[in-house]
Amino acid sequence: MSATTAAWLVLACPLAGTILLGLFGRALPGRIPGLVGTAAIAGSFVFAILAFADLQSRGEEQRQLVSSLYDYAVTGSIDVQMSILVDPLSILMMLVVSGVSMLIHLYSVAYMGGDRGYVRFFAYLNFFVFSMLLLVAAGNFFLLIVGWAFVGAASYLLISFWYRRTTATAAGIKAFVINVVGDVGLTLGAFFILKESGTLDFLGTFKQAEEISGANLTAGLILLLVGAFAKSAQIPLHTWLPDAMEGPTPVSALIHAATMVTAGVYLIARMHPLFEQSAAAADVGTIIGAVTLFVAATIGLVATDLKRVIAYSTMSQIGYMVMGVSAGAYVAGLFHLMTHAFFKALLFMAAGSLISAMGGEQSLDRMRGFRKAMPFTFLCFCVGGLALAGVPPFSGFFSKDEILLVVGDEGGWHWILYVVGYVTALMTAIYTWRMIFRAFFGDPVPEAVELEHGHIHHVDVPVNPATGEEEDTDVGFPGPEHHIAERALPMKIAMGTLAVLATVGGVVLIPKTTTWLDTFLEPTFADAPHHDPSDGMIWFGLALGAALGVLGIFIAYTIWGKANGEIAVRLRERMPAVHRFLINKWYFDELIELLVVRPAGWFGRFGQQTFERVFVNGTLVGGTSGIVRAGSAAVRALQSGFLRAYAALLLVGLGAVVLYFLLQA
Amino acid sequence: MNINWYLAVSALVFCIGAAGVLVRRNPLVILLCLELMLNAANLALIAFSRMHGNGDGQVFAVIVMVVAACEVCIGLGIVVAMYRRRLPIDVDEMRELHG
Amino acid sequence: MKHEAPNIDWAGLSPVIALLGGAIVVLLAGLLRSRLVRERAVPFLAIVAFGASLGLGIWQWGEDAQVFIAKGSQATLAFDELTLMVTFIVAVAGIATVLLSWRALAPREAAHGEFYALLLTSAAGMVAMAGAQNLVTLFLGLELLSVPLYVLCATEMRRERSLESGLKYLIIGSTGSAVFLYGLALIYGATGGTDLREIATGAAGEAGGDVLLLTGIGLTIVGLGFKASVAPFHQWTPDGYEGAPTPVTAFMAVATKAAAFGAMLRLLDVGLIDAQPDWAPLLAILATITIVVGNVGALGQSSLKRLLAWSSVAQAGYLLAGVVVASSLGVSATVFYLAVYTMMNLAAFAVIVARERETPWGDDIASVAGIGVSRPALAWPLTISMLSLAGLPATAGFIGKFYLIDAAVDGGYTWLGIVIVIGSMISLAYYLRVVAAMWMRAEVAAVSATAQPRLAGADPEAERPQWELYLVAIAAGAATIFFGVIPSPLFDLATAAGRSLGLL
Repeated sequence: MSATTAAWLVLACPLAGTILLGLFGRALPGRIPGLVGTAAIAGSFVFAILAFADLQSRGEEQRQLVSSLYDYAVTGSIDVQMSILVDPLSILMMLVVSGVSMLIHLYSVAYMGGDRGYVRFFAYLNFFVFSMLLLVAAGNFFLLIVGWAFVGAASYLLISFWYRRTTATAAGIKAFVINVVGDVGLTLGAFFILKESGTLDFLGTFKQAEEISGANLTAGLILLLVGAFAKSAQIPLHTWLPDAMEGPTPVSALIHAATMVTAGVYLIARMHPLFEQSAAAADVGTIIGAVTLFVAATIGLVATDLKRVIAYSTMSQIGYMVMGVSAGAYVAGLFHLMTHAFFKALLFMAAGSLISAMGGEQSLDRMRGFRKAMPFTFLCFCVGGLALAGVPPFSGFFSKDEILLVVGDEGGWHWILYVVGYVTALMTAIYTWRMIFRAFFGDPVPEAVELEHGHIHHVDVPVNPATGEEEDTDVGFPGPEHHIAERALPMKIAMGTLAVLATVGGVVLIPKTTTWLDTFLEPTFADAPHHDPSDGMIWFGLALGAALGVLGIFIAYTIWGKANGEIAVRLRERMPAVHRFLINKWYFDELIELLVVRPAGWFGRFGQQTFERVFVNGTLVGGTSGIVRAGSAAVRALQSGFLRAYAALLLVGLGAVVLYFLLQA
Repeated sequence: MNINWYLAVSALVFCIGAAGVLVRRNPLVILLCLELMLNAANLALIAFSRMHGNGDGQVFAVIVMVVAACEVCIGLGIVVAMYRRRLPIDVDEMRELHG
Repeated sequence: MKHEAPNIDWAGLSPVIALLGGAIVVLLAGLLRSRLVRERAVPFLAIVAFGASLGLGIWQWGEDAQVFIAKGSQATLAFDELTLMVTFIVAVAGIATVLLSWRALAPREAAHGEFYALLLTSAAGMVAMAGAQNLVTLFLGLELLSVPLYVLCATEMRRERSLESGLKYLIIGSTGSAVFLYGLALIYGATGGTDLREIATGAAGEAGGDVLLLTGIGLTIVGLGFKASVAPFHQWTPDGYEGAPTPVTAFMAVATKAAAFGAMLRLLDVGLIDAQPDWAPLLAILATITIVVGNVGALGQSSLKRLLAWSSVAQAGYLLAGVVVASSLGVSATVFYLAVYTMMNLAAFAVIVARERETPWGDDIASVAGIGVSRPALAWPLTISMLSLAGLPATAGFIGKFYLIDAAVDGGYTWLGIVIVIGSMISLAYYLRVVAAMWMRAEVAAVSATAQPRLAGADPEAERPQWELYLVAIAAGAATIFFGVIPSPLFDLATAAGRSLGLL
């Protein structure tokens, strides 16, 4: 089978799964729908491997294949084909996306077992994977935008999966709105580039990359970055990610750790021939990535919601990747993308298991001493934690150091980023192990004791942990049954596999030893400048990374592990201002509120009061926010129902138009 | 005679018609004012026709007269239908639809 | 003086003849006593007439027929690809409207024969307007389109809102027509011809930049903008749409827009092409105002018809982008979007009609709440329609908008493209509200008849789902998806229409 055929089949499997589950899912009994969904993604994964095998059997020059299914729209200035680009980069992404998704589907088969929306969940999940695969396989800007928008829509569906939960719907809408902002950025960016290059095709655009430098290119690339930041939750478009933890845990694992949030990294890597022409745009990416990785880590230090800590950690790790690929460390960035997918999905899964054991409770304040009750979960959490903290020989150790190595090798002001990166690495280790020491060590909480006696804790009336309101179980709030990894084989298999991968995943690119990933991605990044850091720097980086990881774990142990975390309390009392600043997430939401929402609100209220009072006494039902609401009030106030007022506006408009022409003459 | 005078009269009639649509509340009078506006255009057409020395404008004007008659017919029909339903014959009272 | 009769190309004219002939036949058949004939045969004949017009249009495709050629001047009516595309859109919309009104209240109130005859006449006016190459024909077409629609709006004579919408539409519409006519008179005065080619010559020559000409252009733009619901001449739209019987609203929404844009393209891009630097910036500003006003006005509407009315204002703004650039790409994009717009709106209106008859909620958004569970065959078309109007990928609305933006960028109006994107973003807020109501809200329990009187539009006989409504909804929804995934057939037609005006 040729690589392109296999790649089309990679896309076809989840699409077929979506349609099958969407139309006939309800007719299938028991857990069959979940298995069907898993099988569809497994099919994808198998075809991705076949595509990989075929690609490797070709000569190095023939590893960029374009396959077009049919002409989508060929006319005038646009020439859009239904085409995919199969090259090492897209194959790598396909393998990671379909592989990790397959395991997450498997995990969900058990984890979501008690949910009333079981079929719906897998239909959405399959749709999401299809969109994500379309995004990475796209061979032109058009399909990229399509996949991009689909991913946003699918994430909205999944985040608001428990749609009777007000917090979940709000989080879904927030994610959707920010994603739409990103879509707009991407679309406009694509048009800017189209204007210069005259083609939407990736390879065609890249071929003329050197001729199209200039202001338009920089503007286009910065707009593309807006799209990338929105998807990858980079500052200032990051606020949706922590809120998105309202979705079911497998969703967090899938889209907020392994796939969707990495789309921005993929985009920058895919567009590397263009970014190399515009240093300004690349620098914007580098700096934003660095800021994000630092800020998110500091918030992660104090957040108390288990899933949110992991979410902030994701933001921070994506920051590393964005910084890396923007600074030219393409292979290293993608390497970290891959290892991160393994260990972060693993952490989310373990967290899901833990949350199940707590009966839906997510607050770290309430968890303690689960080590004996949940040995398997504990083990997985530790493996994920070690990889995230960057302790050798776990995968995260190699990939993070690789990024920082290339960034440091750039020299100049990139040295600041190098330092920030290592400082944050220390914080990463601290917040990761803070979770572990708080949740698994110390005196067991009642839920843990109950579990040790073989009972999973159940709450009689499920309440929303965020608001305390009672949950509507009709549309499937986690349901009466909870599933933990120790009791469910599918969850165990998924987590076990990921634990192994998180441990040994780094083997593909060990400095001075293996260069598999480098060689594999070579055809895509052939024309990118190569970095060749000195031996001293390599060893220094590795040693520093390892030392910081271990040091971080030790600090976490001293603060939270010893004596049931009394030091932590004292620390918080000693520095209340810092704690408040961090626990309020650097006041980002408030800042946006102050700068955008409030002025818009004032404007809106002004418009509402004046227009409404003067023109109508009617009530304003809709309007989303400030300015739009004011506009809506004004427009609808004008729509007064008075025929003569309509005629008047018509004639006023007429006067304006005529005046315009008279001024022209 | 200068064409400008015809145009001035035509524009004046048009404006009177437009003003009538704006200030009168009786649909019948509004229909009359609409007639004024159309006839203002007719006057302009005929004046231009004379100026250019071709017949196109006159043909146009004749057709406009037919069309104007049709419009008034429809308008009267609707007014009669409203009268039969004992609805007020006042455009300011028609405010069911708004917002 | 010896007159020669103009040369008439009967074959080329046949699509209009089918419509007008059909109108006469339907009118006569409606006089028959038998209830079966009136209620079954008359709508059937109307469909046949629309179908014949469609078929004859397909037969004439590529012929570029020029009918009514008087000696020494250009044909007054051209049946080129642009006209034929409008014919197709109007005929499809007509067939759908006949199906939607078959068991509706309006034809029974107004007598079947008259109702369908008016529909056919109006359709003939639309075709004539889109094909007019002469100001006289253009004005005739406009009036032939409008006058029957005024009546159709008021056909549910026992409903106050229907009468109100009819009279409002009539008065505002006639004001618009008068303004338009005055504009045509001034253009004639400035250039000395009623023929578009003569006008083009005149505008390129001494009349260029003349005050008379420019004022005339301004007035005609207002008149056409009025028909196309361009802000600030849009105010009849929400009231007219809400008050008119829903099948008529569906027809007004899609077919009028196609005719108005067809005429606008031809008048501006052929007759006044040399004045493009004068009118293009103005149209771009109007497009921006229209997009903002339409999208903002639609927010928070609880009547679905009103919501679609405001949305049609916004869509008119998007469509203007294709007119502004005055390029063959722009014409293609406009025509493409008009076709797409027809499909998505017909799907939505079919669902609204169905729910009006099935529930006591009229066209309120409550009428579609929860139908995702109870009536998926209606919920899917409406969902597709809403997503397509909002421009989500894999729907025809997305590729249509993409095409329009491309035309705008290509013509040097990048900022207008950005406005379109932002407008679509705002529009998500109200389209998704409808989608959310369908899938995420529980069905509003129909309270007893005493508590909520049945709205006048609801059909007492129609308790059971009616197949023709489902047919229209599903066919239009499926077409929206089909052309979203495989748009090339429609692209080919639109490209041919784009070339027919002889632009670059």
